[in-house]
Amino acid sequence: MTELTLYEEAMCCSTGVCGPDPDDELVAVSAALDQLEDAFDDLEVNRANMQHNIDQFLETQRIYDRVQENGPSVLPITVVDEEIVAEGEYLSYDELTAAVGQGATPQEA
Amino acid sequence: MTQTEQSAESTGTSAREIVEPSGDDTEFVFFSGKGGVGKSTVSCATATWLADEEYETLLVTTDPAPNLSDIFGQSIGHEVTAIDGIENLSAIEIDPDTAAEEYRQETIEPMRELLGDEEIQTVEEQLNSPCVEEIAAFDNFVDFMDSPEYDVVVFDTAPTGHTIRLMELPSDWNAELEKGGSTCIGPAASMEDRKRDYERAIDTLQDDERTSFAFVGKPEDSSIDEIERSAGDLADLGIESQLLILNGYLPEPVCEDPFFEGKRADEQAVIERAREEFDADATATYPLQPGEIAGLDLLEDVGSVLYDGAEATVDVETATDGDGAGRAGPDGATDFGSMAGADAVVDQLTPGEETRYLFFTGKGGVGKSTVASTAATKLAEAGHETLVVTTDPAAHLEDIFGEPVGHEPTSVGQESLDAARIDQEKALAEYREGVIDHVTEMYEEREDAQIDVDAAIANVEEELESPCAEEMAALEKFVSYFDEDGYDVVVFDTAPTGHTLRLLELPSDWKGFMDLGSLTKGAAPAKGDQYDAVIETMKDPERSTFAFVMSPEYTPMMEAYRAAADLEDQVGIETSLVVANYLLPEEYGDNAFFANRRAQQARYLEAIRDRFDAPLMLAPLRRDEPIGLDELSAFGEEITGLGDIAAAGAPEVTPS
Repeated sequence: MTELTLYEEAMCCSTGVCGPDPDDELVAVSAALDQLEDAFDDLEVNRANMQHNIDQFLETQRIYDRVQENGPSVLPITVVDEEIVAEGEYLSYDELTAAVGQGATPQEA
Repeated sequence: MTQTEQSAESTGTSAREIVEPSGDDTEFVFFSGKGGVGKSTVSCATATWLADEEYETLLVTTDPAPNLSDIFGQSIGHEVTAIDGIENLSAIEIDPDTAAEEYRQETIEPMRELLGDEEIQTVEEQLNSPCVEEIAAFDNFVDFMDSPEYDVVVFDTAPTGHTIRLMELPSDWNAELEKGGSTCIGPAASMEDRKRDYERAIDTLQDDERTSFAFVGKPEDSSIDEIERSAGDLADLGIESQLLILNGYLPEPVCEDPFFEGKRADEQAVIERAREEFDADATATYPLQPGEIAGLDLLEDVGSVLYDGAEATVDVETATDGDGAGRAGPDGATDFGSMAGADAVVDQLTPGEETRYLFFTGKGGVGKSTVASTAATKLAEAGHETLVVTTDPAAHLEDIFGEPVGHEPTSVGQESLDAARIDQEKALAEYREGVIDHVTEMYEEREDAQIDVDAAIANVEEELESPCAEEMAALEKFVSYFDEDGYDVVVFDTAPTGHTLRLLELPSDWKGFMDLGSLTKGAAPAKGDQYDAVIETMKDPERSTFAFVMSPEYTPMMEAYRAAADLEDQVGIETSLVVANYLLPEEYGDNAFFANRRAQQARYLEAIRDRFDAPLMLAPLRRDEPIGLDELSAFGEEITGLGDIAAAGAPEVTPS
């Protein structure tokens, strides 16, 4: 079982469509995460954004420390099985596949 | 001087059954209707009547400008307060602004630990959204819908459109919660605790044994039409409207000339139509009084007419207010002759070197569309290239001009005059298409070969189902009219105030949102500049004029005042014109009843002058609403300033 958690800053909705323009990065990462879940059997994806899931920030000491030291510009933080694999930027689908690939099992085609 | 015809028809028993508790469970009675129709009065009268019938009664008002204190002659406020002199009756006033602020603070509090002041401020700004106000307002309903200590809870709800959204949102929320996604208004996870409360509230609302929905309106076609629309929206949510109360018809004995006899005949025809067409279990009526309804005696009169089938007591012979009449002008009437403000009004309406944008705003039913169309007609007659746009979903520009009015500007038969109407559905379709195109294009440029573009688009499409997208779409269209070339003047007959504010406020909110986004991404959104430009234009008194239309009465004035204050505080836009509509003409209604009504209008005109620092346009009550260009043009001659536009000189701008 591989766990991927994305800690994000406060936002209204996960694609940014609620703003005047959809945020390209958010659209891409939303789609990539969906696809990743389909591609791997034993992968659990979880997104926490500061407005809606503040508890997860407060309860996860490492994330709490990173945000308090560096401010929200350190977000988004991508965590795979408790290991921080990226900070301050969203990973592309290919990068996410690589990060997850070591632990999780690709689905049989 | 009998009024038996009306009261005999008011189906007292049936109305009574609707508001009385039908079993051991607490009964909930909701009064819906626009501001100024007497909703507060009817709610207070109903609550008083129920208390007199020995039911333990609670009256809840969420009106932002509550006048319960005036009606009961006692201050009430944010705590449940026992009403003096009426056993079994308590009341509470909930200020929706305070409720929203409390909700915001509760959301932000846990973030303080993690974020600095500046960042907290940004989040706060983002939470300053209509969505948050809706959820906070609905929370108040939910809180009071668990009140076993009362036999009846009477809600004097916020105006119609608002009410509908309150009712609609929870269904959406539940759908969102089941999807497990995050919503525009709150986190799915943290709302899980509230989910049961919401569900219980919705179940109760849909249970017609426990909940009664009543509409209050005026005996006017537009009022009935709006109620029918609102009732239809409720019906879609499985909520049946049981009681219709038509308030403020002209009493027969006071209509002694063709003007008021004609008005009364129209009203009676509307009441007749409403009884036949509107699908309510009961309809009740109450006449216009010479003064405002306050004090327990009048409240009891209202209650007994609505629920016991009694005859209304209308004092038609005593001039009750000599003081007010004295202030109304030399002839005891509003002084239409004094057009001292006409020049200032003309200044506000006439375009300079750049295109001028005129916004006529105000609640539905104040005659906003007619005033906007009349101003547009007079501007076009004076040779200014004019476009009149309505953003009101209940638009009746077509009826006013007697010409088809569509999504794109088209001529309405007068030289230099075009009209357009924002079609919500079309705007939404255009917006969706734009967003999807954008996303598709984005993927065409990407290297990620493995990405499933269709799934990504499906993802965005799902998000576009949100209420946010609807608002965005309407705003996009609204903004696009700022780019229409070739007009000297663009007149907006804007949507009812709350909705307008939403549209106008959102760009500022989004800017906050975008700034927040750019903390990490640094990407400047393409549309940010366009919105900035539009807001700059709206804030510039040389290019934009905000005119608040109201009738000179308490609730409409307070609603306009509050909306104007919000515009100034939140968007930085100042009100530059005030239109007082439906002033009683002097030449008709020569009796004590109308003298009292005129004196009351004069007092509110005075109050409007005190509250608004802007030139005042006075518009008279008409026997019939003007229809077609000729009547609009003639009506324009009767409104302060509009008759003087042509004389103000030829247009300074000639479109190329």
